[in-house]
Amino acid sequence: MADIEPYENALGAIPGAHPYSRGSRYHDAEIGIHRQAGGTEVRYAKRRLLPSLDQQETQEHVVGGGERVDLLAQRYFGEPGQWWQIADANPVLDPRELTDEAGRVIDIPLAGGFPSGRGDRRV
Amino acid sequence: MFDLPVGQGPVHITLLMGPKLARPVPAEVTEALLSAQITATAGERSGFQLAFDLTKNGIINRRLLPEGFFDPKTRIIVTVSVRGTLDVLFDGLIVRQEVGASNQPGHSTLTVTGEDLTLLLDLEERTARYPNLPPSERVLNILRRYSDYGIRPDVYTEQIAQPPHQDLRVHYQTGTDLQYVTELAQANGYTFYLEPGPNPGQSSARWGPEVRLGIRQHALNVNVDANSTVDQLTFAYDGTAREEPQARWQDPGTRVSTLLPQPAISPLRPPLGKRPTPALKRKTLSGTAKQQREQAEAELLARAAVSADVITGSGSLDVNRHGYILQPRQLVGVRGAGRAYDGDYYVKSVTHTLRPGSFQQNFTISREGLEARSDYVRP
Repeated sequence: MADIEPYENALGAIPGAHPYSRGSRYHDAEIGIHRQAGGTEVRYAKRRLLPSLDQQETQEHVVGGGERVDLLAQRYFGEPGQWWQIADANPVLDPRELTDEAGRVIDIPLAGGFPSGRGDRRV
Repeated sequence: MFDLPVGQGPVHITLLMGPKLARPVPAEVTEALLSAQITATAGERSGFQLAFDLTKNGIINRRLLPEGFFDPKTRIIVTVSVRGTLDVLFDGLIVRQEVGASNQPGHSTLTVTGEDLTLLLDLEERTARYPNLPPSERVLNILRRYSDYGIRPDVYTEQIAQPPHQDLRVHYQTGTDLQYVTELAQANGYTFYLEPGPNPGQSSARWGPEVRLGIRQHALNVNVDANSTVDQLTFAYDGTAREEPQARWQDPGTRVSTLLPQPAISPLRPPLGKRPTPALKRKTLSGTAKQQREQAEAELLARAAVSADVITGSGSLDVNRHGYILQPRQLVGVRGAGRAYDGDYYVKSVTHTLRPGSFQQNFTISREGLEARSDYVRP
């Protein structure tokens, strides 16, 4: 249950305080602090867990010759930088595997669909 | 490869509707959507208006309307995805529907109007007493009643602490929850609004100071040739808008009334302009003499802060060209408007207008003085 936050916190959780913008796949990643032996603090993004494959609504796409993941992202989302959404929806380790062979059927998440497991941070 | 149909463009809109748990609407409903207009204002409730095409034998006319799919108090959630980045634009309830039947085929429309979830707080009046609770605790108690709609309280303590004294005074609520919460927010210089998101079906109810710090949104460019992202932008500078409130407070022990000192508004309103405007008007607040001293101080601070914004700008932009959705109630930079009016502004209100093929936003921005404080805005 939410609780009352002290007034100073209203100025702490400010929009854009997170190092990654809203279009980034690390937008919901938790930021950890690592203390080195000398006492300096190093901030790092904790490991991002992929959303489970079967919970996303997807459409199928048959790979043609000369396609790349960023071209597909431009076609389906209107933004080539969102190619990681396609990589997330398919069980591959290397995004280049997706478009290596023409004729392979890959899953493309529906644009505008909310994947499960998004964090609840808005800023 | 390039002869395949291209996806329908960079903006996707999703509608979810239902009595309390909203589900995606049938495809025919989304296809019938002619336009959606959503207004979000700082410190006020948001509203929406959706227009649907009403064909004579369509699914809306034959099944959904009679079965109560568009009845009042139906929850409606609008999400958009701009270039793959998802955003919940609106989460609200239908209030009224209008059907315009036309003699010409294809001109009959169904218009659905509604307000955001603060309408729930405004439905019934109640009288309640809150003994020994400071304002923020009272607000939290009220907001917790609405958690079944996914409203998460986001409440902050008052800037001027007001410890309650049960033996001196017990605070009463008369009227609706929304009136009382808004009244408490105004008395402390805070705003109360619901912000939908980050996931559909969730929203956070913020009772706290306006977000006037942090990293700005992507700047609005005006008058910079091909890089302009704003269609038009006009500014107005109203010198009499700012007032200097004066409050007297009477000590109940000694009966001596003193003029309260002018508080600094910078904690509530960090300055955005280099030259703050001097207050031309002086206004005496009524009723502060018999309040507790902390309450009178909070009200004085609130009045001074709220009237400080004298410069307002308004304009419109095309989301497709700008590339990002301009969010209301946050800061944004402006470039290209000249030395006096460049710099950071607070986005007071945004009206989203979505039609098939276009996504326009009309916005109003404000700040308290001329000239930017820094040489840079976030691009």
